[in-house]
Amino acid sequence: MFDRPSSRSEAFASFRAGFTDIASPLLELAAQPIRAVKGIGPYFRAQGDLARENAELRQQLIEARYWEDLAYRQRDRIEVYEAALNVQTAATEDRIGAWTVADPQGPFVQARLIGRGSDSGVADGYPVINLYGLVGRVYETGRRSARVLLLTDLNSRVPVMVDRSNARAILIGDNSEYPRLEYLGRNPDIEEGDRIVSSGDDGVLPRGLPIGRAVPTREGGWRIELYSDQAPIDFVWVWPYVRAEQPEAEEEPVVEAVEDAAIEGGAPTVEAPDVPVTADEPAQEPAEAAAEDAP
Amino acid sequence: MRKPGERNAPYWSALWCVFTVIAALLFQAAPTRLIEGITLMPTWPLMVIFLWAGLRPYFMPPIAVFAIGLTQDLLTGAPMGVWALSYLVSIAVFRFRGEDGMPRDLPPIVLRFAGTLLLAHVIAYASGSFALGQPADWQPLIIEVIASILMFPMLAFLVLRRRRSRSSGFGG
Repeated sequence: MFDRPSSRSEAFASFRAGFTDIASPLLELAAQPIRAVKGIGPYFRAQGDLARENAELRQQLIEARYWEDLAYRQRDRIEVYEAALNVQTAATEDRIGAWTVADPQGPFVQARLIGRGSDSGVADGYPVINLYGLVGRVYETGRRSARVLLLTDLNSRVPVMVDRSNARAILIGDNSEYPRLEYLGRNPDIEEGDRIVSSGDDGVLPRGLPIGRAVPTREGGWRIELYSDQAPIDFVWVWPYVRAEQPEAEEEPVVEAVEDAAIEGGAPTVEAPDVPVTADEPAQEPAEAAAEDAP
Repeated sequence: MRKPGERNAPYWSALWCVFTVIAALLFQAAPTRLIEGITLMPTWPLMVIFLWAGLRPYFMPPIAVFAIGLTQDLLTGAPMGVWALSYLVSIAVFRFRGEDGMPRDLPPIVLRFAGTLLLAHVIAYASGSFALGQPADWQPLIIEVIASILMFPMLAFLVLRRRRSRSSGFGG
């Protein structure tokens, strides 16, 4: 999962991160004129279609109002459920917004340099999303800059699933615009146009991040048309997602409880304390949570 | 061997050289794909190195060429040393030599640049694949080569024109 080749060893990574920290203000400066003129082409091309586009947008607005109402109702329901279950989810405001300051194009790496680093709370491994879906993950973090490895990079490996059927696969980048799906199994339940999301397997990424739609290949395989490619990757959010760790040995607290009960001569009972359930992380171990609750 | 005219005002030329190198490196790394329609990116640093190595060879000693390549590796996230090595070797092989340095006609300059470009990209592909531990993607390299060959004559023409108009040389 998410291999890091020898050319990106720790020593080079820290040196490179330090260098990009120094260069990022210059790169940010160089990106400003590009950002200023990026809308010129679409602006002139869109002039002729404005009337038709306006009518379409009005129709979409009417439809969107229905979905907006539905979203508000669902949000209210979810709030009630979360309050009842004491669920803690990563809040939207926790995400760290960042601009792309460098966009190197080349055969060796598909990456973006963003203008936020560890000073802003960015760390290696954090998922990066844009308005449409998952973009990639942070793999080199400096103080004021960080490099994001895109899903299309040769070294990118992300566990995903089909939203409709929960069929699992690994999304493998190969420097093409459409990364491929591997390890789907013999008879995978996947169809053209299926929505592909992160599966959260291995605890590396949160579950359910939108990635793209499935596209069959001539060879019988599957590739993904990335949602994040709907627009140039400019402004992104870094999600400070803490990787879920493997739980410690589960048997020990139970064994200790049984032993204690045997010594006291009573029946062993292990009560689950009132622990908040985190949506993205496994629930805490009862013994661990009890230790934390203790004064 | 520096010409008498070049000795008189080398500082502006040196400053101009540094500026063009930095601009080329920044432009190479800048998010140009944000602008719709721009999907080709020539190898700007190699063009600048090649032209300066022809106009003022003492501005582009091997250590400077290596440093520019290394900076490009750092900025673009490529494996360390790939572009440094490829620029160093290709410029060493194809740079203009002799008293006159770079000729004043466009075709021989473009031809020699094409050789430099091809060699640089072959070396970059080989060393990059070695560093990555798997074959690198050759398509972006081909696109870079084509974009550079298309863009270079225009740049070289401007340089030659300026060189003709000012006897002291490019920007100097």
